[in-house]
Amino acid sequence: MTKHPDGRYVDEAPFDPNAALQQLERADLDAPNWILVWRKFRTHKLGLISGLFLLLCYLMLPFAGFIAPYGPNERNGEHLYAPPQSVNWFYEGALVGPYVFPIVAEADLETFQWKFVSDTQDPRPVRFFCEGAEYKLAGLIKSNTHLFCAPEGATLFLWGSDRLGRDVFSRILYGAQLSLTVGLIGITVSFSLGILFGSMAGYFGGKIDWVINRVIEVLRSLPELPLWLALSAAVPSNWSPVAVFFIISIILGILDWPGLARSVRAKFLSLREEEYVRAAEMMGASSGRVIRKHLLPNFMSHLIASATLSIPAMILGETALSFLGLGLRAPAVSWGVMLNDAQNLASIEIYPWTAIPMLPIIVIVLAFNFLGDGLRDSLDPYQQ
Amino acid sequence: MFKTTRPLFLAATLAVTWMLPATAETPAPQESTFWATEVNAGNLPPIQDRLPSEPLVVDLAAKGRDFGTPGGTLRTMVTRSKDIRQMVVYGYARLVGFNENYELTPDLLESFENEDNRKFTLNLRQGHKWSDGTSFTSEDFRYWWEDVANNEMLSPSGPPDFLIVEGKPPTVTFPDETTIVFEWESPNPDFLQTLAQARPPFIYRPSAFLKQYHDKFADADKLKLHVDDARVKSWAALHNKLDNLYKFDNHELPTLQPWLNASSGKKIRHNFVRNPYYHRIDSNGIQLPYIDVVELEIVAPGLVAAKTNAGESDLQGRGLAFRDASILKKGEAGGNYKTLLWKTGVASQIAIYPNLNFSDEGWRDVLRDVRVRRALSLAIDRKTINQALYFKLAHPGAMSVLSASPFYDEANAQAWAQYDIKMANTLLDDAGLSERDKNGIRLLPDGRPMELIIETAGERQEVENALQIVTDTWREIGVDLVMRPLDRDILRNRVFAGSTMASAWFGWDDGIPQAHTSPAYLAPTDQVFLAWPKWGQYYQTGGDVGEAPDMPEAERLMQLAHDWEVATTEDERKAVWTEMLKIHADQLYAIGILNGAPQPIVVSNRLRNVPEQAMWAWEPGAHFGIHRPDEFFFAD
Repeated sequence: MTKHPDGRYVDEAPFDPNAALQQLERADLDAPNWILVWRKFRTHKLGLISGLFLLLCYLMLPFAGFIAPYGPNERNGEHLYAPPQSVNWFYEGALVGPYVFPIVAEADLETFQWKFVSDTQDPRPVRFFCEGAEYKLAGLIKSNTHLFCAPEGATLFLWGSDRLGRDVFSRILYGAQLSLTVGLIGITVSFSLGILFGSMAGYFGGKIDWVINRVIEVLRSLPELPLWLALSAAVPSNWSPVAVFFIISIILGILDWPGLARSVRAKFLSLREEEYVRAAEMMGASSGRVIRKHLLPNFMSHLIASATLSIPAMILGETALSFLGLGLRAPAVSWGVMLNDAQNLASIEIYPWTAIPMLPIIVIVLAFNFLGDGLRDSLDPYQQ
Repeated sequence: MFKTTRPLFLAATLAVTWMLPATAETPAPQESTFWATEVNAGNLPPIQDRLPSEPLVVDLAAKGRDFGTPGGTLRTMVTRSKDIRQMVVYGYARLVGFNENYELTPDLLESFENEDNRKFTLNLRQGHKWSDGTSFTSEDFRYWWEDVANNEMLSPSGPPDFLIVEGKPPTVTFPDETTIVFEWESPNPDFLQTLAQARPPFIYRPSAFLKQYHDKFADADKLKLHVDDARVKSWAALHNKLDNLYKFDNHELPTLQPWLNASSGKKIRHNFVRNPYYHRIDSNGIQLPYIDVVELEIVAPGLVAAKTNAGESDLQGRGLAFRDASILKKGEAGGNYKTLLWKTGVASQIAIYPNLNFSDEGWRDVLRDVRVRRALSLAIDRKTINQALYFKLAHPGAMSVLSASPFYDEANAQAWAQYDIKMANTLLDDAGLSERDKNGIRLLPDGRPMELIIETAGERQEVENALQIVTDTWREIGVDLVMRPLDRDILRNRVFAGSTMASAWFGWDDGIPQAHTSPAYLAPTDQVFLAWPKWGQYYQTGGDVGEAPDMPEAERLMQLAHDWEVATTEDERKAVWTEMLKIHADQLYAIGILNGAPQPIVVSNRLRNVPEQAMWAWEPGAHFGIHRPDEFFFAD
């Protein structure tokens, strides 16, 4: 420290602008946004658990074929409408590892139901890392090794089998591949369109705003059911179910953007009058940069929250369409297709397990809702 | 002298035919409680004046049935509002009808005489009346023949096809009030059978009622008023709108059926009440039908089984399929009904029709190759389908006649119907379809993959399940089956237009033909056989639309159908039938999967006289019609 002739003291060390940041009380305030969000999110227990659960579900998707003991359309003609089999560990007091009893179907000509008799004298251990139906790992690598399969000469229907003797458990796993991704593709399409058109309308205003608003109004006024009917008739019948599914999810997205565009536009109309936007414009930032760097981040909490909230709507939408016979069709396997098959009194009264695909739908939709709830609370960390 | 004796002789024979039932003692008719109040109030004549002088007396004991007591309301369901015509089907009052042994017996007619299939004399019952009390006489036939069938405004295409033989209409004469004579130059062996159909051609009309709307008889001003009132273009349109003996949707139109429509317009629930002038009585003198009121409810197709399970139907066959059997059995105790299993009378429960008139040339040539059709048939695992869908209760086999028919031949029923992938592959290789793509799917000669699109009516889950199993086994012969569920009407229109590659539907309606049954439906005479829509149109329109059959076997079928028409002996007809069935078994115009599937019939525990074991067939039999629902009654 030196004393100047005029009596002032000046520090000779160069000024370090980061020093202030390193002080303890600043650390919290100036931490990157995501850390703040994460800290807040961690306190939201339900959201956290839901998020982890969904993460697991999506990580499982490429390996569905590996986890499922049977193929999606593998029929077992001898075991139609087999009830769920229980897997036990102890047999006559001794640990034999997971095993099942073989079941034999008998036609009951009084009730016209298949009666299943399990041979309780013959416990057969479940096999692990065994060979079964061929599948593609992550859609690329051919394999036929399964995590676990039915013992030789027995079956392993964890959640029962359906009217053609197909394993409900395996079909739910394969169905997840379609049902969980149809939401994502649709959301991606609808969000990119919604943000693009909404921000253009809100930021530029004037003629662009007018045109986009009219388009939104026209799209919203279209009656949906006749539209679906027309679309389902227009899809060529020799397309593979996956191609049909892809088109359907994109159409779902294309029809879904106007709602989001409206709210983006409204928010941008007010944000563009803010001082910092003016400042950025005066410094010569292009419109695109202003929108991306200055306006959108302000709006992120709303966007992410509404995205998580509309994914369930998309999943249910696909299900509703399959339910109407317009969406995915057999031999594609999705939860909607499976529920469609279970749409009769017999399934509820006599074979309740064919309606099991309801459960994953309920669980996934709830998980997405809790996750969205948690994210909405935590994305604005400064707001208490 | 000859001139005088002949009428005398005729009169004597007529008298004898009238006397015959009388000697069997026509019982004294009893008034029903349902109409008693109307009779007492003087709105309705008493029972002996309402019945024909010689009613049809049904001896239920001889039929092995019980005598019943009149009364009660029978509840049943249909799935479309136009299905109220099922009451005409179930009522089954025909001029001549089949009895339970599929023999023709006079029903509305008192008797008929057939001379060499050329001259038919129909004798009506003296004093027979329509449901509004007007007389049912030969005038009603004359009105239909001269003023409806041969009226250009009402029938632009002329009299119905079944009356035209070798291009010539019959001469119809009406010697007296109760006699009608149809006479052709060439034999028309199918005439009486056609009158007994589930959907009969009504060759009579309630003339007293309809004359009010016919410009030849009606007062011009009044008619104009009626026409304006109904907001239609002409009197003919009005006449045709009111004249629906089959559709049964005009409650003012008199009928001869056991129950008459008592509800006007379109409703969710239609009531049909007993016809006070119905011509049948039991041998105790009680006028049929036993059941006073039939309540027909229109429900969504998916709900029929559920509502039946809840006991909301007293007699139900329509809308139920075998897959509902387990749920129906389960509800028996709570719903107070029992579930019977009848046999279906269609020739095939599920049949795949490759369209020989498909508009795509490449595919059409492939489908016309009999080796391809045989291979497709061989690659169907019928046993598995039978087990998965019908509890092994149906009969796997190709489309032919059922074992109840005299023409049944085991060789036809099993032709190309065994499950033989190896042979199927050889056949397809021989047919020049040996190239395959990387997925193992065969390639057509023009390089397209062999994706066989089968369109279905989308209303029967069993078809979709069966095709699902077929998909798996066809993949082993390198054929990719693509199933496309449509709506019934859309499917038909697409097939008729030639834009469907293949379709799935029932087999022939009549799976139990007799020698007297016309084999026309085995020949390309009708577009409803979905394998040859264009050939059928060609025949039906006399060559205006469609295409002439251009495959030798199809031409042979046409020839044989004609041979049957002109055949004079039973043996000739049998020979025609045998050869036609042989051609079908060999050529596989329709690939049958299985037949004789069980049809669940739900019968209330209170309802009697419903047969335990019977045939559920549209033709011949009119579903319940042949079992005479007018003899069913409630025991309580």
